[in-house]
Amino acid sequence: MKRQELVFEQPTALFASTPAETERGARDAVRLLVTTPSGHQQATFAELPRFLAAGDLLVANESATLAASLEAHGPSGMYTLDLSTRYADGLWLAEPRWDPAHPGPMPIQVGEEARVGDATVRYVAPYPGIPRLWFITADRPLEPILKRTGVPIHYGYVQKVWPLDAYQSLFSRVPGSAEMPSAARPITPKIREALEAAGIRFTSVLLHSGVSSLEIETERVEEQAVYPEPFEVSSATADLVNRTREGGHRVVAIGTTVVRALESAWTLDGVRPRQGFTRLFVHPGNPVRSVDGLLTGFHDPVTSHLAMLAAFIGLPRVLEAYREAIASGYRWHEFGDSHLILRK
Amino acid sequence: MAQSSNHGTQVHAQRVALITGASRGLGYTIADFLARQHWTLILTARHEAPLLEAVKRLKTTGASISAVPGDVTQDRHRRDLVAAVGRIGRLDLLINNASELGASPFPALVDYPLDALRRVFEVNVVAPLALLRTCLPTLKASRGLVVNITSDAARGGYPGWGGYGSSKAALELVSKTLANELRDAGIGVVAVDPGDLRTQMHQDAFPGQDISDRPLPEVTLPFWAWLEGQDPLRVTGQRFEAQATVWEVPA
Repeated sequence: MKRQELVFEQPTALFASTPAETERGARDAVRLLVTTPSGHQQATFAELPRFLAAGDLLVANESATLAASLEAHGPSGMYTLDLSTRYADGLWLAEPRWDPAHPGPMPIQVGEEARVGDATVRYVAPYPGIPRLWFITADRPLEPILKRTGVPIHYGYVQKVWPLDAYQSLFSRVPGSAEMPSAARPITPKIREALEAAGIRFTSVLLHSGVSSLEIETERVEEQAVYPEPFEVSSATADLVNRTREGGHRVVAIGTTVVRALESAWTLDGVRPRQGFTRLFVHPGNPVRSVDGLLTGFHDPVTSHLAMLAAFIGLPRVLEAYREAIASGYRWHEFGDSHLILRK
Repeated sequence: MAQSSNHGTQVHAQRVALITGASRGLGYTIADFLARQHWTLILTARHEAPLLEAVKRLKTTGASISAVPGDVTQDRHRRDLVAAVGRIGRLDLLINNASELGASPFPALVDYPLDALRRVFEVNVVAPLALLRTCLPTLKASRGLVVNITSDAARGGYPGWGGYGSSKAALELVSKTLANELRDAGIGVVAVDPGDLRTQMHQDAFPGQDISDRPLPEVTLPFWAWLEGQDPLRVTGQRFEAQATVWEVPA
């Protein structure tokens, strides 16, 4: 697939800058576009249960969001250091930025140091193929500094930094994501109860999301380097996923992170328990086999997430859905509207 | 490798690695990555001048580095290495990276000069085992990790690759067996296949061919970063591919 194919015109007026609960009183006060093989329907998020059926399985990501954005003081003055993924004690992958709205690239040198809280961090090496991301080493644990001074990673389109709670979902349990796995954001306890009352079941996987959906920079989408994320699929979840599909029901991933985790645990016999780091890149050359549906948000042009949607239902159908979403004023990003994509 | 020493405020006490074949290619790339994290390094390679040159560059990172040139098949050289380890008194990571490709161009096994084959097994199988043995007390005290560098040739059965490939297959079984034998001693042993890389060694394996489509050894850095975070006893006995899609931790 060519990079150019993932380009679409995206009005910036459609970027959601405020959580729905702040703007409209409830997390589930967002819209829901439903894409099925027979077309697209518009609904409200509270109507989600009527698009699913008894026996279907929703799979959530139980990773909780860290306050992963730190203030760094280096040779070029004060700047933002967003932590992406923890590799080892004191060894992280991170993204230095001028500030939340200005990504750089920063003129970082290998070996350069910066003060972050009471720690000194040093730039070890750029990530191969993704030079804006760096391995950094810290002389003391960064976790306490995150707790004391970190804020959630945010970009230019948000009005202000919202409290960390706005970046957690009903399923957030294990801290570790740099950016919120946001697809589950609108699921309130009431919606969960309604789904359960309709015979829809829940299970979860773990995948600690790194910094933002990767923008594809190579001419051929498949050649883009992608960075790995820690994940875990338990044997209970693997069993439930396999039994649901054997029973003819649908497995619906809540978020692209769940697709990445389940696909990373896929074998010819279905999903098996597996944990580690995955750098699986789901694109049209790498079709989705483990799920029948995906509840997600709306993704930016030319990103790895868009390539995943194209792998799931084909690019023409994705772009058709996005044309309808844009024409109807659906909103983008973590505080935006929802998109339920069902393959059957 | 070193699991946390999170007492006090420092993330790490001194961490020490011994890397063979460290003057260029993959060995040098790993050494550079660890030096930039201020690991203490003991580096060896057969040719003195390139090793000293490499160490000179690596020292600019501020890391403490000892160069001990020599041939890993020689008892005397291994004793020099272990003496260097002894002076530091700690060994968190031993990377057996030095490898011998064997006769070139690659002969079929039926034509393989037996002396060349013996040399391949000496460097690729016997030396890594012997070096681990000499380092055993320090590795044990440090609850260290041993990494034996392998190759897909160990599994391929590719014509012409029989000498190198069979030695790496032997090294993989040595690794797996050692993992089982040394688990109670607290030492982890893994085999790592770095995948095809644009290195002198790879060029020697494909004389006269253009290998510029292979990635540079830096492509493996995320894997080494990941391995650094693993408890040696959780991953011991595993064979990893540094360029694989998933690096799996056994349940």
